Amino acid sequence: MGAYRHFPILIIAVPLVTAVLMPALSYRARRACMPVAAAALASSTVLTLLLYRVVKPAADGYLSYHLGGWEPPWGIEIRVDFTGLFMLTIVCCVSLAALVYSRRYVEHELEEGKLFAYYSLFLLLSASMLGFTATGDIFNMFVFMEILALSSYALVAVTGRRDAVRAAFKYLLMGAPSSIMVLFAIALLYSVTGSLNMADLKGIVAQGAYSRVLFASLVFFVMGFGVKAALFPLHGWLPDAHSIAPSPISAMLSGLVVEVAAFAILRVFFSVFGAGASAVSGTAEALGVIAAAGVLYGGVMAVMQKDFKMMVAYSTISHIGYIILGISIMNEQAVTGALYHLLDHGLAKGCFFLCAGAVIYRRGYRRIDQLKGAARQMPWTCAAFSLAAMSVIGIPPTAGFISKWYLIWGSVAGGRYLYAAVYLTGSILAAVYCLRLIYYMFFVAPPEGSWEGEGKDAPPSMLIPIWVLSLGTLVMGVFSFVIINRLQEAVGWLL
Amino acid sequence: MTRLAENFHYVGAVLLFCIGLYSVIMRPNIIKKLIGLNIMETSVFFFLVSLGWKEGGIAPIYGGGAEPSRMVNPIPQALILTGIVVAVSTTAVALALVILLYRQYGTLDVDRLMREEELEAVPPGREGEG
Amino acid sequence: MKKVISLCFILALGILLLAVVASMPRMGDPQSPTNTHIIDRYLERAEEETGAENVITGVILNYRGYDTEGEVTVIFTGLAAVLAILGREKRGRVHAYPDRSPVRSSLVVRSAVRFLFPFILLFSLYTVLHGDISPGGGFQGGAVLAAGAFVLAAALGLWSAGRPVPPWLRYALEGAAPIAFFTVGVIGILGGAEFLTYMLPRVAAGLQPSLRTWMTLFIELGIGTGGAMIFLSILMALSREEGEPL
Repeated sequence: MGAYRHFPILIIAVPLVTAVLMPALSYRARRACMPVAAAALASSTVLTLLLYRVVKPAADGYLSYHLGGWEPPWGIEIRVDFTGLFMLTIVCCVSLAALVYSRRYVEHELEEGKLFAYYSLFLLLSASMLGFTATGDIFNMFVFMEILALSSYALVAVTGRRDAVRAAFKYLLMGAPSSIMVLFAIALLYSVTGSLNMADLKGIVAQGAYSRVLFASLVFFVMGFGVKAALFPLHGWLPDAHSIAPSPISAMLSGLVVEVAAFAILRVFFSVFGAGASAVSGTAEALGVIAAAGVLYGGVMAVMQKDFKMMVAYSTISHIGYIILGISIMNEQAVTGALYHLLDHGLAKGCFFLCAGAVIYRRGYRRIDQLKGAARQMPWTCAAFSLAAMSVIGIPPTAGFISKWYLIWGSVAGGRYLYAAVYLTGSILAAVYCLRLIYYMFFVAPPEGSWEGEGKDAPPSMLIPIWVLSLGTLVMGVFSFVIINRLQEAVGWLL
Repeated sequence: MTRLAENFHYVGAVLLFCIGLYSVIMRPNIIKKLIGLNIMETSVFFFLVSLGWKEGGIAPIYGGGAEPSRMVNPIPQALILTGIVVAVSTTAVALALVILLYRQYGTLDVDRLMREEELEAVPPGREGEG
Repeated sequence: MKKVISLCFILALGILLLAVVASMPRMGDPQSPTNTHIIDRYLERAEEETGAENVITGVILNYRGYDTEGEVTVIFTGLAAVLAILGREKRGRVHAYPDRSPVRSSLVVRSAVRFLFPFILLFSLYTVLHGDISPGGGFQGGAVLAAGAFVLAAALGLWSAGRPVPPWLRYALEGAAPIAFFTVGVIGILGGAEFLTYMLPRVAAGLQPSLRTWMTLFIELGIGTGGAMIFLSILMALSREEGEPL
């Protein structure tokens, strides 16, 4: 393996240390902040992609790195298995796209004195998600979650506007107790196992002692991560926070942060407790019902919204429901579908928010009815949106179709016909709110003076990330066979 | 039941946790919510440190012939060191937000803030934001 | 109505948690999972493996050093967040005292604080450097130093608190802790072992313990100064007057 074994820690540490150097950098060379940040994220992306040669979806195909040279459970272990590597790729790609997009957007929106803080926090956000995904130690996961939480609270409020500060505070007021619940869950788990290493924990939990404490621990984990993932009914902070944050941050939040929290639930279920644990099967049932409710709630509320970004935010609640419902069904196809949905939702939702931001950047329009006729002046943006919308609805050959196929297949294979129906209803609702917007953009004449005359589409530094994400949903759909079989194999080992 | 009496530290931690949660959810004043948050955090630290207790234990420091077998568990102490730092950072960020909130709204009462929110619901065509 | 539901929820949670506590292992039980599983190795071999007499310091900096790196990153994120929300202070545009009063404290307070501050400084340095062999460590020492600076700020005004440390030095040192960790970590990789390893195969066996001690000290000092500077900067930012340009 040679040098490969050091890649995981470098993937995490390089953006982290770059973030710390940002304030110093901004003193001398303010213009260099974004390129340096982009270079850090790009290097992480390259290293992540290179890891695909080493990490395999087999029982022993994971990469284990013992920090400090101490073997687990005495030392902290970085563990990159195939599903983790998949998640790392998603984080890297969407982060890089949102960062490149940020430059124009942020210079337009923020005062210059705050720019270094923005880039620093952005890198910390990305690095924390990378660290969160790659770790094999549960307390380490908590620490990275805190970095994630703090940077996201601040990034929502960074513009300093009234509604942004209020939205950020609402987020904090729900997010901070949820972090404490996760810490409590770790404490409960530690009290009956004496270990913090995930693989070790799985072995001890399998012995079945202290089941009540383990059950409580799992419930606290789900509650804690559920708030961060905006699982219905713990989603109250999301609509404001995601719609009021600067658009690249909304893309990161909806496309990555809530997904990483859902991925955390997956990790806790399968890598820490193990699918066979009694605590897990009991919780999974309840979780399924809640997630299904979330799918429908999010979809219905999205249809009812008048503001573009609010609509997208509620759509996120719906799609996180898809993912967690898939996890709770707990068979190979459903979990594979849930994981693949992490990919296509990250790409598509990121694209959605970046498009919304492009429209706001050019014209300042936020409402859906103001987007009538938008395609006349911003055709590329609207086209990218439409392509991503195909994925959100689940139309072949996009990636969204593949993930929903697996999710529905999993529900049927598990005998959960009701859940399959819920997925289909979710898709119908998505079709309503997406197609309505596409119709307005392309096929309706704009009201007086709004989209007439001179006007440009989004600038290239914004359009390129938008199109990268949008095309990504198509490419990952057409070429899904490259990865989906390996993913399914990996999930099989996980379960 | 006797186990509850034996684990009285944990009982205390649970009580503190609930008191803190009560404060966070039910008190309308923002500063009191933040205090409640700190109480919740402290209760979890208390819980963790009590986990490490061993009967007849001594501090896990060598020197002066301390016997390793009598030392208390060092791991919870290491964990809460990190936890305390995290709690402090969260409080710092929360206070920064509260300062801005107070400047912009002039109130620290959540109910009044929510009413402002309804009054402010997205007016038509607000330019250049988000 | 919402209040009633919340109250019921909290009560139910409390009762359930008490039920959980009743089924937990007995507190202090030497046979409980926490006291038997992994700590034996820490307690018996910490001194030889980490060079620290204080087992907790050994755990924090050596066995679980990565967590500590995460922790210092959290506090740095807190600072970045506060700066992103409020912006940095500018000389002359900061409320004079943290409690916003323009009134100076009494002579007694000012003299006492001026007298005490060098001792606080010394004590914090002692705590940082002695973390290996007594209770203490990088972060504890940094907190003592920051507390000393706060006392100065409360008694003598914010700018006298900031004066001993020029702003550019403060800004440079804020990131000291994560950078110290990264440096030691990379040295670990270059030395032929993993990130954050202290005993490096490529170094002569006789030199390894000394190198380990130096690296540990470096990290401790980084954490101490970094932490103190971050707290000071947060204090300054929170005291910033509103409405001025960044």
